[in-house]
Amino acid sequence: MNPATWPRLFDTGPIFANPVTAVVTATVAALLLLTIPVIHLLARRGMIDGQLRDELLLRGRSWMVLAPLILGPILLGTAWTIVAIGLLGLLCYREYAQATGLFREKEVSLVVVLGILAVTFAALDHWYRLFVAVTPLTVGSIAIVAILRDQPRGYVQRVALGVLGFVLFGSCLGHLGYLANDPGYRPWMILTFLAVELNDIFAFVVGKTLGRRQLAPNTSPKKTVAGALGAVVLTTLLVVAVGGAAFRGTVLASPAHLVALGLLVAVLGQFGDLMLSSIKRDVGIKDMAATIPGHGGLLDRFDSLILVAPVVFHYINYFVGVATSRPPHPLTGG
Amino acid sequence: MQDWQLRPARDLGLPPTERLASLRRENGLVSTALHLAWWTAVRGYLTAWHGLTIHGREHLPVGAPFLLVANHTSHLDVLALATLLPWRERDRTFPIAAGDVFFKTPLASAFAAGLLNALPMWRKKCGSHALHDLRQRLLEEPCGYILFPEGTRSRDGHMAAFKPGVGMLVAGTSVPVFPCRLDGCHRALPPEARWPRPTRIHLRIGPPLAFATIPDDRAGWAHVAATLEARVRSLDPDAGGGPA
Repeated sequence: MNPATWPRLFDTGPIFANPVTAVVTATVAALLLLTIPVIHLLARRGMIDGQLRDELLLRGRSWMVLAPLILGPILLGTAWTIVAIGLLGLLCYREYAQATGLFREKEVSLVVVLGILAVTFAALDHWYRLFVAVTPLTVGSIAIVAILRDQPRGYVQRVALGVLGFVLFGSCLGHLGYLANDPGYRPWMILTFLAVELNDIFAFVVGKTLGRRQLAPNTSPKKTVAGALGAVVLTTLLVVAVGGAAFRGTVLASPAHLVALGLLVAVLGQFGDLMLSSIKRDVGIKDMAATIPGHGGLLDRFDSLILVAPVVFHYINYFVGVATSRPPHPLTGG
Repeated sequence: MQDWQLRPARDLGLPPTERLASLRRENGLVSTALHLAWWTAVRGYLTAWHGLTIHGREHLPVGAPFLLVANHTSHLDVLALATLLPWRERDRTFPIAAGDVFFKTPLASAFAAGLLNALPMWRKKCGSHALHDLRQRLLEEPCGYILFPEGTRSRDGHMAAFKPGVGMLVAGTSVPVFPCRLDGCHRALPPEARWPRPTRIHLRIGPPLAFATIPDDRAGWAHVAATLEARVRSLDPDAGGGPA
């Protein structure tokens, strides 16, 4: 470690340099302060019944914990963000392993966890070559450790479940952490989270009001075609509206890029949602866990992010370049 | 290729405190690592402080399901029994512990579940359904149990009669039951003592028994309990029957 390591990892310049960071943080803080009183007020005025009030309160309280946990690390700095994403990956993998039964394969599970830790380390060290290398090496290691017990029965299943788990929660999600190496990551990441979460809400609200035809009745009976299309339109508009500021000074600030990015986030967010629904249907469970009251498991909340993360990363990396202006290896030096 | 079997954790969706005291609890990577550390430390302690000697090691179970039954005079008993198992078996071996002692508070549950890997048996309200659940898990998973069929620690060091509950777990199944005899635990740490004395502990393991032909009913359960009790008594070196 050299003297530049500490500021490089924990201090990335003025936090609110970009207006998107400041506005979203202020809005989220205001919403968090107001949500609970507003729900109580609505209930007292008789505009919502007791059952709905309790459900809204439960979800509201969960967001009071969740929102600071998402926004906090992003505001604090690079290292916090990468570690938080690594932790999220581990917790999501835990839910996935328990739901699919993969947790019983201790050797495979250990390799997946080590793989997620390695991805996190590579991101922390801004070591892109290692970051790229970890994925095939972990996949290979999973295929190897699954042999060691000399029980070919179920080999394909345990290797496939392990590889899927690592690729989704280590590799895909890890891209979001790696993004934090760029000095301008805050507005990019905040926009990504905002678009992905609102995309879910748009699909839900538009589906409730306009939806008639089911999107994928066998996979997720509550989703509608209108909800999906409405969310694509609204999320794209949101990305175009906010993206100009979030990506200012880069080629991505142009409307054409923002429309493309908005479409990608909206469509992939919904496919991530459907992917988790498919996993749950296949396994035969309703919620992944009972981690977040009112939401289910962590995966039920962050499923839409998983497929979006690598695409946003590579889109930015292709057209702008992630953290190209910064020297790599704050931890390992050299 | 065989069909995929996606079996979610039995304890999926249980709140954390309830999960610890649940008969459906399953071990993940973290609990397995904790157990590994704990049992390695315990093994070292038993060898160094009590010079634990094991006789009849050749009888040890080679795979689940199985049941270890032993006389019970001390908290050291379960430590001595669990550490003798090979590592792969130990992670799926559950000592059956008194719920009203080991799962009374969340902290106690965390210790019993997190380190001992124990499952609770509620002595006062122990319904037959709890034993039924345990029996089902023993066969389905399969796993191993460590059980003290006397139901409680002997206060004077002498063995009491085995309760028929052990029969409800294995009557009518081919699950091998390993009779074990512990000597020295009562002297080292009797129920009323706070700290263990550095005295020797001997563990004798007898050849396994199975009760496949014994009917799964009241008479069968009593027969299983009586047979096992006699077998454990016969392992007493003073009775002259055991492999000394």
